[in-house]
Amino acid sequence: MKKSFGYKLNIFLFLLPALILFIGVLIAPIFMSLSYSFTEWNGLKDPIFIGLDNYKELFTSKSINIMRALKNSLLLAGLSVFIQLTFALWLALKLGKKPVGERAYLSIFFMPVLISTVVIGQLWLKIYNPDYGVLNLALKSLGLESWTRVWLGDKKTVLWACFVPILWQYVGYHMLLMYAGIKGVPTELCEAAMLDGCTEGQLNRYIIIPYIKPILRVSVIFAVTGSLKSFDLIYVLTNGGPNHATEVPSTLMINLLFLRNRYGMGSTIAVMLIVLCFVFALLINLVFKEEK
Amino acid sequence: MKKLLSILLAAIMVLSMVSAVAEEEITLTLWSIATESDSSHQSFIDAIAAFEAANPGVKIAHDTTANEAYKTKIKAAMSSGEGLPDIFFTWGMGFLGEFVDAGRVLNLDAYYPTYAAELPEVMTGNSTYNGSHYGVPYSMSIVALYANMDLLKKAGWEDIPATYEDMIKCCEDLKAAGIIPFGVSGKELWCLSEYVEPLVIKSIGGAKLRDIYNGVATWNDPGVVKAIAAFQDMVTKEYFDPSAIALGNDEVKNNFIAGKYAFYQNGSWNNGDIGKAEIAPNVKVGTFPVLDPENATLMQMIGGPNNTLAVTATTQYPDLAAKAAFELGKFLSNADYTSGANLPCWTADPNAEVANDLIPAVANMVAQADDMVLFGDNFLSADAANTYLDYIGQAFAGDITAEEFAEGLASELN
Amino acid sequence: MNAQNKQAIDSAPKKKGIVRKIAVYAVLIFWAFVSLFPVYWMLTFSLKNNAEIFGENVIGLPKYWVWENYTRALGVGNMPRYFVNSIVVTVATILITLVTSVMASYALTRLKWKGSKTMNKFFMLGLTIPIHASIVPLYTTLAKVSMLNTYWALIIPYSAFSLAMGILISIGFMGDIPYDLDEAAFLDGCGVWGIFFRVIVPLMTPAVATVGIYTFLQCWNELMFANVFISRDVLKTLPVGIQSLSGQYTTEWGPIGAALSLATIPTLLVYVFLSKQIQESFIAGAVKG
Repeated sequence: MKKSFGYKLNIFLFLLPALILFIGVLIAPIFMSLSYSFTEWNGLKDPIFIGLDNYKELFTSKSINIMRALKNSLLLAGLSVFIQLTFALWLALKLGKKPVGERAYLSIFFMPVLISTVVIGQLWLKIYNPDYGVLNLALKSLGLESWTRVWLGDKKTVLWACFVPILWQYVGYHMLLMYAGIKGVPTELCEAAMLDGCTEGQLNRYIIIPYIKPILRVSVIFAVTGSLKSFDLIYVLTNGGPNHATEVPSTLMINLLFLRNRYGMGSTIAVMLIVLCFVFALLINLVFKEEK
Repeated sequence: MKKLLSILLAAIMVLSMVSAVAEEEITLTLWSIATESDSSHQSFIDAIAAFEAANPGVKIAHDTTANEAYKTKIKAAMSSGEGLPDIFFTWGMGFLGEFVDAGRVLNLDAYYPTYAAELPEVMTGNSTYNGSHYGVPYSMSIVALYANMDLLKKAGWEDIPATYEDMIKCCEDLKAAGIIPFGVSGKELWCLSEYVEPLVIKSIGGAKLRDIYNGVATWNDPGVVKAIAAFQDMVTKEYFDPSAIALGNDEVKNNFIAGKYAFYQNGSWNNGDIGKAEIAPNVKVGTFPVLDPENATLMQMIGGPNNTLAVTATTQYPDLAAKAAFELGKFLSNADYTSGANLPCWTADPNAEVANDLIPAVANMVAQADDMVLFGDNFLSADAANTYLDYIGQAFAGDITAEEFAEGLASELN
Repeated sequence: MNAQNKQAIDSAPKKKGIVRKIAVYAVLIFWAFVSLFPVYWMLTFSLKNNAEIFGENVIGLPKYWVWENYTRALGVGNMPRYFVNSIVVTVATILITLVTSVMASYALTRLKWKGSKTMNKFFMLGLTIPIHASIVPLYTTLAKVSMLNTYWALIIPYSAFSLAMGILISIGFMGDIPYDLDEAAFLDGCGVWGIFFRVIVPLMTPAVATVGIYTFLQCWNELMFANVFISRDVLKTLPVGIQSLSGQYTTEWGPIGAALSLATIPTLLVYVFLSKQIQESFIAGAVKG
């Protein structure tokens, strides 16, 4: 095929629709957000250029308290990686051993992924309801009256109460990815190992897990960036409350934008989020590369 | 045949064009918070029907959004200046003020004189900026203390306590009788302010509070500290529902209606819902007692004209939209009053029949008012209002002391 | 393997194996229960009255089947309308995502040019860009071109945010199409467009299902943009509709449960029939990358 001008034009034409969408909706707004982040702007009057003041305020202001929001989302990321992914891996390994009802388990575990986060949030709101929620009613009927809580109101429990549904919903997703990877491990490889007298644990440790490392990498990236971006469930459950105990960067951003009319500061958080997501994705890639 | 058909077609086209010219319909868009669950929902429907009947050829497209989402929506639309409605619902002072400041709101000075006789100047204060009218207030609300008299009687009280000391005693008696004294939503911070603001005004007085909101006086005032300390005292003594932090205002209101709380202090716009509930005959409405008799009186209250209609500066039909805003406002003022939902800003028909007994009681309180200061989150600008509500939330949670509350707000807002 | 170890395996009584097996099954069954319970609970309380939900019969099947909850959820909240809106937005998004991503993937993999790798990486940035980061610029831009409160206000951003995954999946599937076919078509006199339409597009049907399912779930459930870009009630999508409905019925759980169920049942039905394809689409999305 000749690489004539016509050929290049065709390449361009094939890419054009995607490029327009991608640049117009994803890339350009990043730069717009970046430029807004250098301004004081209430969304009504003209923006005033203030240089890096927003960034300074973001990291020093007590009332914004970005550090708490970051801590929360990093804690969520940590839990996702160490609890959610570990459990998902365990499930995937067990399902990979073809237990009775393999397909049924797979389908059931994956189901929560498909349900709208709003629905899940509303359901868990009801589960946690202090007066009529299933959780407190169950504790009462078990005689554990003293364990009942205002789950979403108590500062000690609210963060965990928010994280449980988030972790719960996506266990199935990661399990499915890992399960698919495990199914892709050549059977000869496993059989040979078993003949050598490998125990199940050794087989998992030395054959299967190294084999599915690329998938684990994807899972870790999704879990970490997903945690940094998490919004929907927290918005429905607490909207960052009570008293900002469950604030994450995206709820903080939305509140600054639409409750306080601080478009410049909201955009500053947006920029920070983008940078964080990229940095973490790069870091995770590095970690996995080094292990190779 | 073909010819005939084309003549016929031409005739139809001409006819339709003529009729289009004759009945050219103007559609005004109206945004409000009167969703189906709002007590003003029916009033809005009736007001629009009445206006459309009186002004043939004009239609009003009514778009409703629930309270919190509405704030987001209107601010976002105002920020871009595009896709704005012709007429919009707004709260007075700070909320409307930011839009006026940005030049997005139509100056109504030219239209107001026509209605001045029915809409007293004093009612328009919260929607007047730099001496110009920018809004049509239609109903006013105050913070009201609703009391379930059955429950009070069970605790041995025949009336709403008139002094602060009695109020505390009453709460202790209620607690001893196993009754939760106060219902409040800790999830929606403005509901906490419905408790804090009466305490503050009854500690420092109306003039001082207004000065503080205006930035003339400082938040760091011993009276403010005293009020917040009293509020936190009520929290630590467990006078509020222990589940408060997880409840929304609707749930709290329904709990009160279901007889779970002795008192529910919130805006008088709840008259509609409480007034039509089974519990209504046992409910008495009053005001929170005075904390510091040296600076405040019982009849200094929080509230004022706040439900307002305004017209956007970009409307294609300024005259018509302004007329519609005034006419709708007039109708709504009356309709909300007779339905028992709210107090009128417009001169009310003295013979009007009111749907429940609570509204006359509130009207009576307003008539006796020594002073009225608007709700803090309406008075302040959006950013300041949210900082202020944040501090109230922290005080409620016990994260900060009363002194820290006063000092913190002084440093952030003054 | 040393003797000790061998002994352990031989004599480690089978009992231990059985106990472990039982333990594994116990965890699997437990997690199945935990995964299913909220949905089961939602479906049952959507048919109960408050008395049952609030204590008389919390987790059992309804004693009296209150179908009225469903008529109320349908009647008051404009639910059918939200449904239609969600369908319109979702279908249009899927179509746009498919067309644009298959076209782009073709240019990125089948056509030979210098920058194709870099361009591919550029598109893959889309996987990490948080959707909320663009909300203000998008809002102001949509407002300027008067597209707020139209279906386009959702369709365009949704398509753009589904694009990266769409390209990722399409490239994976396109890699499975042998290059010989392109060559043969080229020799038959097809140009790049001819090859695209006659060879590639017909063989991309498996990708259509995968991309479609992935995109469906992305936009069917999206809350943030739908909340801010659409304010007219008649254009609201399901998640926003449900959210506002739940705000209005805080104390009557039955109708809320009914609304939640109505929003969930279609997805669940599709899942029951297509569970394998749906799972595969998610796997493809992650693994082919």
